[in-house]
Amino acid sequence: MGKKLVATGRGGTGKTTFTALASRFLPPPIFLIDLDPDQSLAEMLGVNLKNEGVKTVSATLFDIIAARKDGSGGTMSVHDRIEFLLNSESLYEGDNFDLFVLGTKLTEGCYCAPDAIISGAIPKVIDSYRYVMIDSPAGLEHLNREVVSDIDDLFVILDPSSKSLKHIERIKNITSAIGIQYNHFYLVGNYRFNKVAQQKLEASGETYLGNIEYDPELANYNLSGRSLLELPDDSPACLSVKEILTRAGLLS
Amino acid sequence: MAEIIVCTGRGGTGKSTFVALAATYLRPPLLLIDLDPDESLADMLGFDLYQHGISTISDKLYYILEASKGGAQDPSVALDNMASIIEKECLYKGNNEIDLISLGTKLTKGCYCTPDDILKNVIPKMIENYCNVVIDSPAGLEHLNRKVVSELDDFFVILDPSSKSLQHIGRIRDITSELKITYRNFYLVANYGFNEENQTYFESSGETFLGKIEFDSQVAEYNLSGQSLLKLPEDSPASLSVKEILRKTNISTFSL
Repeated sequence: MGKKLVATGRGGTGKTTFTALASRFLPPPIFLIDLDPDQSLAEMLGVNLKNEGVKTVSATLFDIIAARKDGSGGTMSVHDRIEFLLNSESLYEGDNFDLFVLGTKLTEGCYCAPDAIISGAIPKVIDSYRYVMIDSPAGLEHLNREVVSDIDDLFVILDPSSKSLKHIERIKNITSAIGIQYNHFYLVGNYRFNKVAQQKLEASGETYLGNIEYDPELANYNLSGRSLLELPDDSPACLSVKEILTRAGLLS
Repeated sequence: MAEIIVCTGRGGTGKSTFVALAATYLRPPLLLIDLDPDESLADMLGFDLYQHGISTISDKLYYILEASKGGAQDPSVALDNMASIIEKECLYKGNNEIDLISLGTKLTKGCYCTPDDILKNVIPKMIENYCNVVIDSPAGLEHLNRKVVSELDDFFVILDPSSKSLQHIGRIRDITSELKITYRNFYLVANYGFNEENQTYFESSGETFLGKIEFDSQVAEYNLSGQSLLKLPEDSPASLSVKEILRKTNISTFSL
């Protein structure tokens, strides 16, 4: 049974960067899930879904609904159809990781339905992987949706602001009220942390694993849209993520 | 009729910072709506809702639904009267005619469609009393699919210097056009992370680029200590740049 890792946090703190870099060090097989409608993870991993002929989960869902409306869905039950199409059209299979992307939807309403599909798919695939790592959208709403209810390691990526401390508290409140369980609750500081901000986190009483180091090369990669998998192994950001994963006991 | 201004963007770009700093310049009466469950805007303005006995929309909704359990109260009565309930219990009335409503964190399972829907219905009733209404969106795109407002005047997208921001603009255009969300002006604003090269990149995007929120070490300090951004000196780099950005629009402000 694979371990479930979730990266969450306020917007722009570096959840996707952390996830992309972690994918380089976690022992395979790994399954990555991008739960953000703004779908940046694939790009940061250098995966062009369009060229690969892979659809987002939202797009596949849209097709299923459209097929039901015009009656071209065939005789397969909707349930089986979802499972079939998810695996045949929305699963990207890479050399070192597989990937699901929630994707942007262009119809009115929330992301409960595509989220529920992903939530239902996880227990079916978990046995085939050593790690399933979820990159969450910014904010808290995804927690209320309970896409996974039993997490092994919950990584909260933080920026140096008092809002981050309140954010931690809100995560604790929501997970406990809804009944989301986790074995470990880890804090990770982002590239903007300094000593003062770090001490504040250490004093919070939570397990603080370290900071993702500032890395000018990484900023350039993000601006040009280059894959973070090409970043040198000894770059500051890579080394710090490796160190964080080691402290979490995931690389032994 | 109030000017409806929406501020959106990817996470951590500075949406709430922009709204908090703009609040000083926008002509009052001003209504600020924090649509982010992580509810930072009130903190950044130094508004203590709890201390003033003001509820968030999510909290109020929770109490209404709790009270209706066991059939003691019919929730539909309260839900029909949401406009006046919100005005009495969820509207923080600040100094200098700056008011605020906060969506707030919910602790029950499920999405934010219901509290968002409540706001969607109430906003048209409330805006009559204001000169400017600013909605500070949660990070990302989902709030657009919920269509909390469908006709807006000024749409500000706050950007960070990454290629992801360009794709984000494209997605906003796609979603708003599919869902028929209309706006008069579509403005790009760069955040403190931008340099000259990045700016040129976005200026060439063909969109209206209004400028950059300058880096300001004081804003960083205020954010770490939790101090109100309303107290930031008016001649600080961040304030001055927001003033300059607003000057390039037709939004009603104090004479800048």
